[in-house]
Formats: sequence, structure tokens, C-alpha cells
Amino acid sequence: MSVAVPIPVIQLLQVLTIAIGAPFVTGVIAKVEARLQGRRGPRVLQPYYDLAKLFRKEALIPLEASWFFLAAPVIAVAAYLTIPLLIPVLTSYGLPPGYMGDILGGGFLLALASFVIATAALETASPYAQLGSSRAKTFSAIAEPVVLFVVFTVALLTGTDLPYALAATIRSSAGEIVRPGHLLAAAALFMVILHETGRIPVETHTGTNEFGMIEEARGFEHSGPYFALLKWGSELKQLILFTILANVFLAPWLLASTQQLGAIVLAIVAVLVKATAVGCVVAVIDNSFAKLRLFKITEFVAGAFLLAVLGVFTLYLGGG
Amino acid sequence: MVLAGPASAPGVYEGAANVIAAVMLLLEFGMLRQALARDQVRLYAAQSAMISVLAIVIAADRNLPDLYVLAGLSAALKVVGVPLVLRRLLGGAVGDEEAPGVAGSHTITPATAALAGIVLAAYGFFCFGSLGIHGPAAPATAWAIAGAMVLVAFGLMIVRRDVASQAIGFFSLENAIALAALVVAAGLPLILETVILFDGLVAVVVFGMLIRAHHSRAESLSTADLTRLRG
Repeated sequence: MSVAVPIPVIQLLQVLTIAIGAPFVTGVIAKVEARLQGRRGPRVLQPYYDLAKLFRKEALIPLEASWFFLAAPVIAVAAYLTIPLLIPVLTSYGLPPGYMGDILGGGFLLALASFVIATAALETASPYAQLGSSRAKTFSAIAEPVVLFVVFTVALLTGTDLPYALAATIRSSAGEIVRPGHLLAAAALFMVILHETGRIPVETHTGTNEFGMIEEARGFEHSGPYFALLKWGSELKQLILFTILANVFLAPWLLASTQQLGAIVLAIVAVLVKATAVGCVVAVIDNSFAKLRLFKITEFVAGAFLLAVLGVFTLYLGGG
Repeated sequence: MVLAGPASAPGVYEGAANVIAAVMLLLEFGMLRQALARDQVRLYAAQSAMISVLAIVIAADRNLPDLYVLAGLSAALKVVGVPLVLRRLLGGAVGDEEAPGVAGSHTITPATAALAGIVLAAYGFFCFGSLGIHGPAAPATAWAIAGAMVLVAFGLMIVRRDVASQAIGFFSLENAIALAALVVAAGLPLILETVILFDGLVAVVVFGMLIRAHHSRAESLSTADLTRLRG
């Protein structure tokens, strides 16, 4: 196949891959998790059916809520769909808007989405939603320095903090892969991802354990299409974070280096396979550890912080 | 220090050695965090195993067959021997239960201890890193990590008020020195390396006697009781 795909179409495909692939990855994780527990589990396509069902339902709004309550899920999904423009989802070369924002830019968009959802939860005056948003903000304030230190590590490794540049650096030699700074930063990022996607050991993402809920509790008052957007949004966030981990830090291979149709199709399959692989690891962790008590979560994040700080030390002070 | 562009990667061998050293430093932080003595002993055994792995990596890359022998000896002594003796010493008095006086012997909270550990590690990195020592087998980062490990091990001995943690801190200090010796002077004659290794054995015996004596006198491994002796 030697059909060249125009750049804007590739850019659109990056967004569509994330948008359409996200429920699939969630479905695979749920399936793997069920198999690990000896259950048959839901269909892999179940998240799509869930979303379709929710989109058809009517939306109820709490009396006290203002227009922001309804705008928040839309803003959040818009923010999530902007991030694939900035990160290498399909191509190893930067697409035109790819240099518009660096890793911090992506981080800001993620934080914006999380902020509007938390604010909407506050609007409802429902205790559980408020509890969830207050907790989510508390813990993400602790996770933020870890992300910053991971960005510092990337900056020390590449001289810039563009995700495309780090992926290219890692592809350049085997020595770059086994650098302790890189591995420590990747491990720290993985721990942050476990935290951000609300997985064990931070949070149980299934069931309704209200007192242990953090992120999951924020959508309690949303319903219908708006709840569907929130659900889809958290699936998008998960796939975006998995893609950053896989395509920037751990395995930036099999990305399309040309505009050939074949290479692009291969890259679409590859990114979904890689994200599913990360998801399987997450599912195994989900099944092998217990949830931490709420006040021990800071220690988990502190562990990630230690990894990220040592990563910076090895590069900045240790010369490696 | 001016941040001037990205430093190029040192190569696969150096990278692997550095990663092993970094894992050893992380295990050191694990010991700082762990409340129970048996978990600390487990982490110590893992750390000792890492140093044997590092010896094998250096032996394979630098073609130093002596180091295989050293790796075997060190594994037998530090991965199997010392943890076994320590577990016997700590658990022997009270059966399978956790030795008394170890849990809760933190003088500062674990989080503060970890932060203090980070500061110590930074200082160690800075000091050892700026010495600029480059041996034939010495990846600069592993050398700096060894420095950080020495200081964190000291920190562990300082912030915990029980004999077990202090003994384990001392043994892991010996691990840090072995790491430094390995990366700087990998070609040292085997006899010297072995002598250093058995130096550690003497420390085990001494610390064993101390733990034993303290336990029989105070019925606890906590050193907080010792303050009473000041009169």
C-alpha cells in the first residue's frame, strides 16, 4: 500500500483512535480482570453498549445546579480530545499542532478537565460528590510534583520537554532505554497513572464503596448523556495516559514514520495493543494488591515522588 | 552547574550497572520505611542479591573471572547467611512473632524520614558526583549512588531506635561500600575483596552478640530503654 495519507487526516485519525479505542481498552481490562478472578466477565464491547444506553437516557439536574453543571462534562471531554493532538499516538514525527504544547501543556489540559468535573460536583450539594471532588483535589495536589519531576527528567534527557523528542531519544539507542533516570521516571509516571485512573492501590474503580471513593464519586449526580460523557471522559483519560506511557516512555516503536496508509494502520493497531498490554498489567496489579487506607495514599504518591526525584538526581548530580 | 543540552547516554553496560545501583538505593529507602524487622531483613537480602548481580554484570563485561567467585561468595554470605543469622537472632527469642521493640521505633514519622533520606541522598550524589572519579569499570552514576546509599544507611541507623534496624543499617552500609569498591576497583585482587567481605562477617558476629546481650537484659530490641542507664 503506497497511498499517502494527508497530514490533517492523520491528525484526525490520532484523535479518532483515542476517542473510539478508549471504551475498547476499558472493556479488555474489565474482561482480563474478570478472567483473573475466575469470572466470565462482561463482553469486551460492553463499554460501548453502556455509553449508547446512557446517551439515550434522559438527564436529570439537581435543583441547585447552574449551567456549569451541564457544561463541565462537555468541557472535560473537549480537553481530553485535544490532548491526542499533542502526543505521539500514531506518528513518530510531530504533526503540525504537535509542537503547540509540551508535556506540561498536556498536563494542564488533564488538570483543567479534572477541575471542571470537581467544580460541577461541588455545584450539586450532594455530600458524596463533594467528598469525591475534595479528595480528588487533595490527592492530585500531592501527585502534581511527581509529574513535574518526571517532566524535569525528560528535560534533562532530551534538552526539551516535547513528548515527540523523548520518544525519538529512546528510539535512538539501547543505552537510552536502560538509563536509570529514564526508568525511574517511567516507573514514577506509572504510579501516577495508577493514581490518576483510580486503580488499586489507590481506589477501587468498581462497586460502590462510598467512603473509599475519590474520582468515581464525582459523577454521582450526573445522569443520561452527561454521565455518558463523564464515563467516556474517564476512559479517554485512561487511554491517553496509557498512550503517553507506552508511546513516549516505554515502547515508542511501531509508530508510523511516513504518511503511508499501511504504516498508519499498523500504528493504530500497535497503539491499541500496547495500551491493552499496559491495561493487563494494571489488571494484574488490581488483583494482587489491597486498596490502601485513605491516609496511606500519600505514602504511595510519596513513593512515586521518591522515584522521580532520584531520577532527576542521577541525571543532574550523578551524571548518568 | 549549568544545564547545557542533553547529556548523551553512557551505554548499555553502564546503564545496566547504574540501574542495579539505583535499585539498591531504592531498597535502602525501603528499609528506611519498613516498620518490621523481618521485612527489613528481606529487603537487605534483596539488596545483597543485587550486588551479586552487579558483580556478575561487571565480570561479564570487563572479562574479570575473579568477580564470578566473588559474586558467589557474597551471595552465599549476604543473601543466605547473614539474613538467616539475623532472623534467628531476632525471632529466636520470641518464636515466630515479630521481635519486640522494633515496630514503632521511628524517632520521626516515616514520611519525614523519607524526606530526610532524599536530602541525604542529594548530598551524597553531589559530594561523590563532584569527585569526578572514573575507574575502568566505574560508571559515574553508580559511584554517586553508592555515596547516596552510605548516607541513607547512616540515616537509617540514626532515625530508628532499635538494635535490629541499626544492625541492618550497618550491613547495608557495608553493601554500599561494596558497591563503591566494585565500580571503582573491580580489578582488585580476589584475596582483598574476600578480606573485605569477611570484615562484614566480623560485624555480623559483633552485632549478633550486641543484639543478644541487649535482648536478654532489656527483653526488647528498642534502644530507648538504654537511656535509663545514664543514672
